[in-house]
Amino acid sequence: MSTLVATAIPTSGSLGRTVKSEWIKLASIRSTWWTALAMVVLGAGFTTIISGVYADDVASGTTGDSAAEFITQGLIFSQISAVVIGALVVTSEYGTGLIRATLAATPSRTRVLAAKAIVLTGFLFAVGTVTAFLGYFGGNAFFRSQGVGISLGDENILRSMFGAGLYMAGLGLLAAAIGLLVRHTAAAISIVLALVFIIGQVVSLIPGTLGEWVTKLMSGNAGPGIVVPVSFGDEMLTPWVGFAVFLGEIALLSLAGLALFKKRDA
Amino acid sequence: MIRAQGLTKTYDGKVAVNGIDFTVEPGRVTGFLGPNGAGKSTTMRMILGLDAPTKGMVSVNGHRYASSPAPLREVGALLEAHAVHPGRSARNHLRWLAASNGIPTTRVGEVLELVGLDSVAAQRAGRFSLGMGQRLGIAAALIGDPPVVMLDEPVNGLDPEGVRWVRSLARQLADDGKTVFVSSHLMSEMALMADHLIVIGRGAILADSPIQEFMAEHASAYVRVKAPQSIDVEALLVGRGLDVTRTDDELRVHGLDAPAIGELIGSNGLLLHELTLVRSSLEDAFMELTADSVEYHARTEVAA
Repeated sequence: MSTLVATAIPTSGSLGRTVKSEWIKLASIRSTWWTALAMVVLGAGFTTIISGVYADDVASGTTGDSAAEFITQGLIFSQISAVVIGALVVTSEYGTGLIRATLAATPSRTRVLAAKAIVLTGFLFAVGTVTAFLGYFGGNAFFRSQGVGISLGDENILRSMFGAGLYMAGLGLLAAAIGLLVRHTAAAISIVLALVFIIGQVVSLIPGTLGEWVTKLMSGNAGPGIVVPVSFGDEMLTPWVGFAVFLGEIALLSLAGLALFKKRDA
Repeated sequence: MIRAQGLTKTYDGKVAVNGIDFTVEPGRVTGFLGPNGAGKSTTMRMILGLDAPTKGMVSVNGHRYASSPAPLREVGALLEAHAVHPGRSARNHLRWLAASNGIPTTRVGEVLELVGLDSVAAQRAGRFSLGMGQRLGIAAALIGDPPVVMLDEPVNGLDPEGVRWVRSLARQLADDGKTVFVSSHLMSEMALMADHLIVIGRGAILADSPIQEFMAEHASAYVRVKAPQSIDVEALLVGRGLDVTRTDDELRVHGLDAPAIGELIGSNGLLLHELTLVRSSLEDAFMELTADSVEYHARTEVAA
């Protein structure tokens, strides 16, 4: 009745099996691919359009901006997709009761979360990086035609391309961690988008040095420094320091999420 | 084999499962019967390590479920229908389960065929009827060909053909020597499916016996006798070797039919006020047994 008789029963748990399982989960949901497509189309598309619009100005030097300042602009919109995919990896399981099947199959909650984090990081890094490169080629075509094109060898450009992948992966992990804390899709997505798009701006209104630092340290301000070839300004942390702060924030939230996840009944 | 010892679960001070002990043996279908809210699902979740017991412990095949390196190869469980992502196909749902426990993908096709879902395997599970979802859940429970199979309310939402199928599947699994643990709130269903019965109510075990024994004990017919000289009547009937039990002002007589009992009493010059044949069904027995342990009663009496 079963082909299983011939297959040895594993004698130890394996992260590899859980990762494979989580990858099948992520890849077998259509919304994953639609959302990833949205990330690519919005990110690369807006970068191309913005570059097309400003290529004249850059060429004529009227605004004083360089082509590099526009070449990752569209990625602002890609952030939404990364947040949605990251949140869903966790919250969709609570919404459907699937979390019980997941934990029955893999009782180690740490391993389940580690596998989810690995799959999410790999996927968003790949899609984010592809989006950045497509935006670069699309946008740079306009700058080239105006004679102000840039090259991948220029300062910070390659870092920005791969940095986009890293930042998208980080945003996904941040959303997953929040998802683990609130266990609700809409709540998780709203919280992270508010954190990145709204609260990050609002805190800059706090007067004095306090406001400066709070602004610098907010996830949505510290994280994307590695994405832009030209810094937002002196008031921001340097790219890698900012990203390290961003990772630290993700780590803290993830550990809080893991602690709750291990304690709670499924 | 499943063994629970002093298994207890409280939620916010409310006791859901109260220090229960039981053993589920292989080679037979063990019914886990109780009204809704009795603690059946909580117990099953604790067996799978999804909920942590407040006190006590439960082991599967001699160890804790969570300590198994490939638990789906040891225990297969249907916990609730539609514990699947509605956007994922039946085949992909089974694929991720298989991958997580090192089960070859060929097994996915086998269980899909076994539960009769092979023709709709590529469809998204969200489009499934309750019955199809239940079949997918059973396929998931069987994917690791486990020696222990646990089904929580497996016939919910199934059509009569599906109900029969679940019954024969449970029988077949038990005949193959597997441990089969099936929960239900329907006594009639258990009467048809189970060899052994564990009855739970308000988190406590009310009965744990072979189904035949349970039926003999709780579902027998008797003759109710009410008589003014009940002491004399009782002495007479017992003197004839009949099994008589006294409850309040009535006698319950086993072993002789009503006309014969009436003639016997009359011919001895004793008065008779009531003579009734009482048949108690298994369903009645269950209701009686759990009457005090049902969480939410439908109130029928009206304030006067």
